[in-house]
Parts: sequence; structure tokens; C-alpha cells
Amino acid sequence: MGFDRRTFIQASVGVTVGILFTPVPWKLADDVSIWTQNWPWIPKLKYGEQLDKPAVSKLCDSGCAVNVRTVAGNAFGTEGNVDNPLSRGGICPICANGVQVMNSPNRVKGPMKKVGDTFEPVTWDDARALLADKLAAGGGKVAVISGDQTGTANEVFSGFLAGLGSEDFFQMPCDMQAASRAYNGVMGGAGQVGYDLENADYVLLAGADAFESWGPTVSNMKTFSATAAKYVFAGPVQTRTASVTARWVPVPEEGMAAFILGIAHHVLKAGKSVAAADFAKFRSVVMDGFSPAKVEAAIGVKSAVTAALAQDLLAASKPVVVPSGLSVAAANAAFALNLLLDGGMVSVPEFPKVIDSALSVSQRMEKDLLAWVNKGSNPAVALVYEANPVYALPEEFKAGFLVSFSSVWDETSEKADLVLPATFTYERFDDIQSPYGIAKPVYTAGVPVSRKFLDVMTPADFILGLAAKMDIDLGFETFAEVIAAKAEAVGADYDEEVGGFFEGETVVPEVATLGASVLARGAAPVRGTGAVSLAPYSQLIIGSQNVATTPNAPCVISNNQLVGTTMVVMMSGMTAQKLGVAAGDKVKLSGGNGEATALVKLNEGVLPGVVAAPFGFGHTVGDEFSKGKGDNVYKILTVRFEAATGASVWNGSTVNVAKM
Amino acid sequence: MSGRCGGVLPFFLGFLLACIVGWAVFPPLLYTDVEQPVRFSHKVHVEGQEMECDSCHFFRDDGSYAGFPTNEQCAECHAVDEPEAVVEAVRGVVGEDGKLEDILKLPVDEMPEELTELVQSGDEADVKAELDYLVKYAIQGKEVPWLNYQAQPDNVLFSHKAHEGLTFEMLKEKHVDLSGIVDDAVMEQGGDYNCNLCHLKDIEKTDTPPAFQRNVLTTYSKITMKMWQCERCHAQMGQVNACYVCHK
Repeated sequence: MGFDRRTFIQASVGVTVGILFTPVPWKLADDVSIWTQNWPWIPKLKYGEQLDKPAVSKLCDSGCAVNVRTVAGNAFGTEGNVDNPLSRGGICPICANGVQVMNSPNRVKGPMKKVGDTFEPVTWDDARALLADKLAAGGGKVAVISGDQTGTANEVFSGFLAGLGSEDFFQMPCDMQAASRAYNGVMGGAGQVGYDLENADYVLLAGADAFESWGPTVSNMKTFSATAAKYVFAGPVQTRTASVTARWVPVPEEGMAAFILGIAHHVLKAGKSVAAADFAKFRSVVMDGFSPAKVEAAIGVKSAVTAALAQDLLAASKPVVVPSGLSVAAANAAFALNLLLDGGMVSVPEFPKVIDSALSVSQRMEKDLLAWVNKGSNPAVALVYEANPVYALPEEFKAGFLVSFSSVWDETSEKADLVLPATFTYERFDDIQSPYGIAKPVYTAGVPVSRKFLDVMTPADFILGLAAKMDIDLGFETFAEVIAAKAEAVGADYDEEVGGFFEGETVVPEVATLGASVLARGAAPVRGTGAVSLAPYSQLIIGSQNVATTPNAPCVISNNQLVGTTMVVMMSGMTAQKLGVAAGDKVKLSGGNGEATALVKLNEGVLPGVVAAPFGFGHTVGDEFSKGKGDNVYKILTVRFEAATGASVWNGSTVNVAKM
Repeated sequence: MSGRCGGVLPFFLGFLLACIVGWAVFPPLLYTDVEQPVRFSHKVHVEGQEMECDSCHFFRDDGSYAGFPTNEQCAECHAVDEPEAVVEAVRGVVGEDGKLEDILKLPVDEMPEELTELVQSGDEADVKAELDYLVKYAIQGKEVPWLNYQAQPDNVLFSHKAHEGLTFEMLKEKHVDLSGIVDDAVMEQGGDYNCNLCHLKDIEKTDTPPAFQRNVLTTYSKITMKMWQCERCHAQMGQVNACYVCHK
């Protein structure tokens, strides 16, 4: 038998049939299918112990008390902390996305310095040396801008700033600042104003979008759902908060102080008084300047409405009025009305400082960042801590050498000369001291609950190291020691493995004056000259002034806020008619120092003559979930200085609207 | 056998050749033997130090199973109090440019005292293994990448807790036939622990861990339990075999 073509074919058939009687094809098919599960780009699970660890989440302005779920020391989920009164098991939309933000490709992965128009990696030691040189050369012309309203890290920064000989410590503009300047500054009170929603039976939310973006939203919502108090919302837009309250009273934003004093007029007429030095003057200012007719003429709220609200407030056993916004006059007016009503406004004592040279909470709130920027200040060095002033200030922010302490890339990091990546809130020691609005002194200390996986450092630790290098004695070597000392000073039950908690008692608010002379000049509404008023509003699902839209949020952002990549502004049919636009039209809004593009949506829940626009869009730096989505409303705000108080405010901003 | 149908012989030869290759040559080519990163002696720890299985292999508080010990657990006996000092001492010998592992090429008496004083073993082979562990992992703060003979893919959830109570008596009562899945000797021997049903028999008596027979395609061990094996036992035990039971 020769080996010819036929033989070859016959043998091949034999081999083919034979191979089917072996494990080869079946084993290979099986193994190849398993091999496809293990391609290197397919993510692998991490295995290990699953734990639920209490932590603080500092993403939202108030801060959330959370439980972080970890496996093998890596965070994979966040939920509310049922044991903490700030949370009671709830969590805000920003903090609910904590893990997604922590694992975002947008995290800053290591310290970077700007060289030309690009960034180059730098070691922490080199970054510290570079900044020390800049600070030494700056000769005390240094500023700190903080986006953290509640943390003891502010003591480290402000103490360090004092050591450098500067007093330029600024908070990002916030409601807490206006309240503090009104209560502690104008009225001579002590502590932080709180609102006892839990025991109140009537709550007038004077612009405070309490279930959406104002104050401790999670706590507010929990209280709202657990109590039977009557809530009324006053403001230019029927927000989501207004949609669940018993009543929405349309009030222009710039008219809120006048609106509140219009109610105070009826309350004073009912014989209410306060033991304050200027009560007589206050009474005179209100009775003369804010009569029902004058208020109706100034802000369009009918006298019957203010009278009815006053009647409800007087009939309630524990009423409370909650102001909002940057207007010190409006806060002052609300506090004066609360004192007249003797209701649910409380004073929350500050916790003791642990760094002697640091600013107290009320001292931190004194300085006006917008006014400082507006006068063209240009410090040699500006340290920006967990804030994004380049994005969220209506005015251009300048500094000779800008340092950004941020965990993610944002507009401020992009503009910075030195970017020092911050540990994420789950990766560091941090704390929450009585967020503004809460009715009791509450302290929550958090410890690291998730393993660091980037070359990041806790900003306060960096500053403590820098202070030591520059011979500035802050009394501590690490921020962990600061937090431990703070917890001890507060009286918290603290453990460096699990954190700590303290809840204290409120005190009755006491003031020296009712701010009569301030209200006489500062409470009158002032409106810009544009075609329509601009009513900006916030939704945490879109983000905050410090945190951009989080990864899971876009799918729940409504068509009332964003369609595709275009922002949506809402206005009433009457306003649209006046402007000559219709639903779905693309319009250009011009105001302040900029312009914004938006689509028109008709909504009769917006006061006529007002355009409602959402904050939080228009990021030019960031990830796919925020960058290039909508326009930045901060850039079309008009900043003015409030009469008498001098506070920078943007209520009364107006815009011109042109169809595109 | 005509010329036309003389093809029967080539066919059978081809058939035979394929069978030989498929059954005898191919299977060994699929696997390669890999040693554990450290020669961990169960014998030394179990017999010598009288450690229990659950000293290293235990249920965590959350009910998940800690299959391999971490450095933290090893440190209960093999503590390195000042790893930086040991690293520095080793660097002093191997030089700043050298690898720390280079120290293992030297005789023990040429190694720095900071390292050798950590060694607790007496036997030469055990000393070498312990030094391997100390230099490659403990002083560098790296976890040992133990090779798991029974690792399952991420898409399979095997709960040790759910199988904790499975006893040999229960298997016998239900007349479960696991031939081809479990070594007959394991079934005959029985015992208080059911680990050997899936894991290597008598591994607690080994001085050198058996080689990990790595599948060159899948990278899993040769003895990794396959789905049909799980299903057979489940079926005989009257357990649900629905997909979601294991694939969450």
C-alpha cells in the first residue's frame, strides 16, 4: 500500500473521527470558553471580609453620616447611618454616589505641578518645598478658600494662615455665612442658628429648599416624613420642596426680606415683642416701611397672604421661619420674626477649637469672598481646599500661585499651578460639626474606612507637614491627632477605629439687637435692569458648587433641567409671551459677566417675570457625566452689595433673553 | 482488500493515532506545574506547632470564608515589628540598586542579623522557606499570592457557610454517589470535617505543598471543581440546581 492522495484522505478522515472520540475538542471548547472569562481587561472581584463601617461623607455641603460597605478594605457601597441623627438611615443624592466618585477616572492620581500649559507629576516632598518657597516669597499675601463648612480641617488651614500672618480665610458663599453674619454680626448673638423642625408645628420655608438642597436635607426630609407639622414654601419657583408642602407662596427672591417683614408687621400688630435694645426702632421700621400695602407694591404679595401667614404663625405653638440665600438682611428679618414668635429657632453652641490660632466657626463666616474677589484681590498664593471657585464664582478669581487641594479634576485644579490630590472622604480622618440648620450641636468624627489606591494625601496632613517645615507650630503632627483632640474637646465617644459621635443641647437664642438699622436700609428689594429676573435653584442630583454631577445621577436628571446636553430654563406662559419665546425654543440668557444657552420649558410654577435656571451644569473640566452638560448659571449672575450689610448677594439678578 | 477499499487501514491508523494523541499526549500538555510562592509546610505548623485548621482557614464575622491567611494573621507568630529597619539592613548588604530578594542567594550567616533573628525554624529547608516569606513578603508589606487549588471564577458564588454542615453521614444516608468527583478513599474514611470533599486530601500532613497544576488556557487548577460536579451532588442531595443558586 503506497501513501497516495487517497491514503492521505482516508487517514485524515480516521484522525478526524478519532479525535472526536477523545477529550480534545470538548476540553478545548470548554477551556477556551473559560479563557474568554479571564481576558486581562475584564475586571476582577476583590474578595475578603465585608464590613459596614460608619463614616462621614463630605461631598455635600452639610455632610452626610453614612455607612460605607467594604470588602477586603475597599469601599463598594454607601448607605445612610441609622444610628446618626443627621442621617437616620437616609443619604443625599451626592453622597449616595460616593463610591462611584471615589473610583472615578477623574480622580487626581498624584501631585502635579503646572509646567507651561500642561501638568507634570511631582513628588510630595518637592510639592511641599515648592509651596514653602512660594509662601515665603509671598510675604503673607496668602489666602485660603474653603468649600468645607463643617470640618475641623478649617482650623488647620486657618491656623496655618494665621502663622503666615494673613487673615484672608474665606468660605465659599453659602447660606450658613449669611445666617452667621446676621445672627452673630448684626444681631450680636452667639453660636449658630438652628431650626427645631422636629418639634415645630408650623414651618415657613422662606426660600429654603429644605428637602432638595438647603441645609441638612436628609435630616429635613426625615423630620418632614415623621412629623405632622404644616410646611409652607415661599419663593419664586415651585421647587420639589414646594410641591410637597401645604402651600407655595410665590415671592421674588430679592423680595424675601420684605416679605418676612411684611409678616412681621402683622405679628407686631398682634402685640408681640422682643427684649432687644432696638425693639422700638425695629417696630417703627417694620410698621412704617413694611405695611401690607407697601409690601404688596414692592414684591407683589397680596396683603391677605401675609396676613394669613402671620395668623397661622401666631396660632402655632412652635412656629419657625427658615431663611435662605446670601442675603444677610433676609436672614436678619427671619431671625427677628422668629424671636417675635418665640418658636422653633434655636441657638446651637459652637464646639471648642483645638488649634489656638485658628478661627472659630463664626469667625470663618465673617469674610466675604465675593467682595474680596470683586475688588480685584490677587494674592501671591491662594490655597483652595475642597472648593471650586473658578467654576462657582460669578467673578473671575485670580491668584499669583494657585494651589488646589481636590480629590477630582475640576475647573480650579485645571487652572491651578499646583494640584495636591486629596484623599477621598472615605480614605481620611474627617469630621462634621453641626451642619447649618440642624437644631442641636451634633459632632460626627470619621476615620478612614477604605484603602487608599492613589498617591493622595489628606490636605490637613499636608498643611501640618508644611507648617512644621516652616516653623509654624499648630500643636499637632497629624490630622488624626487633631480629630482625636477635637472629639475629646467636644466630649464625643471617640475610637480611632470607628470614629465618634456627640449630641448636645441647644440654648435659647439671645440677641442684643434686632438689626433695625440694617433692615431699614437692607430689606428693600433691589432688582437688576434685565428683561426678567433670574431665579437660580439647586438640586443635589445635579451637584453642588463644589461637586459636579455624580456618575449615577444623569439618569435621574429630569427633562425640566437638561435635554441632551442643553440646559432647560423654566418660565411661566406669561413670561414666555412677554419675551416672545415658546416652549422648546433655544434661547440665550445674558447677564452678569456671561451668557448661557438653554431650552425653554413652560411651567406655571414659576413666578411671572422670572426665569428659573438650575445651578450645577456647564462644567468644562471633569468626567463624561458632568463635562459639557448644560451651561454654568453662576456666570450669568449679577453680584451686588446689599445696602447696610455690605454682603455680596446675587438675588435680584436679571437676564436678557434672546431667541437663538 | 482492494485498492479502492484498502482505505480501511489508513482510516484505522489515523483513528488510532488520534486516540493516542487525544488521550495520552494532549492532556499533560494542557497543564503546567507551578509551585506555591512560599513552601508552606502544613506539617510544621499542624504537627510541630499544634495549630488547628481554623487558625488560618476560618469564617469571618460576615460569614464569608477566609481561605488563606493574610500577613496580619501570619504576624501573630511571624511578627516583623520594624520592617523598615529590616529592609534597610538588607539594602545594606545587597546595595541600593540590588533587589531585596538577592539576599536569599547568600548563605544565612552572611545575611544581616535584623533578618535572621526573625527566623524561627531550625531545619535548613524550613529556614529557607521562612526567609523566602520574610524577604519577599513580610518585610515588604506584600501579601503572599497563594495559589488556590479550588478557585472558582467570579461568576460563581460558592458559599462555604452553606456547605459547612454537610456531613459524610448525610451523604451516606442519601446514598450519594460521588465516584469520579471525590476520591473513594475520602468517602470511605469519612471524618468530622468535609473539606476533603472538594479540597486536596490530607494536605494538612504535607511538608511541601503539592504543585499547582495550572491549565495553560484557563489558568485554573486541574482539580478545580467543574459545574457538572457541583450539579451532581446537588441533584443527589435534593438541592436546587437552578442557575441563580451559584450564578448570582
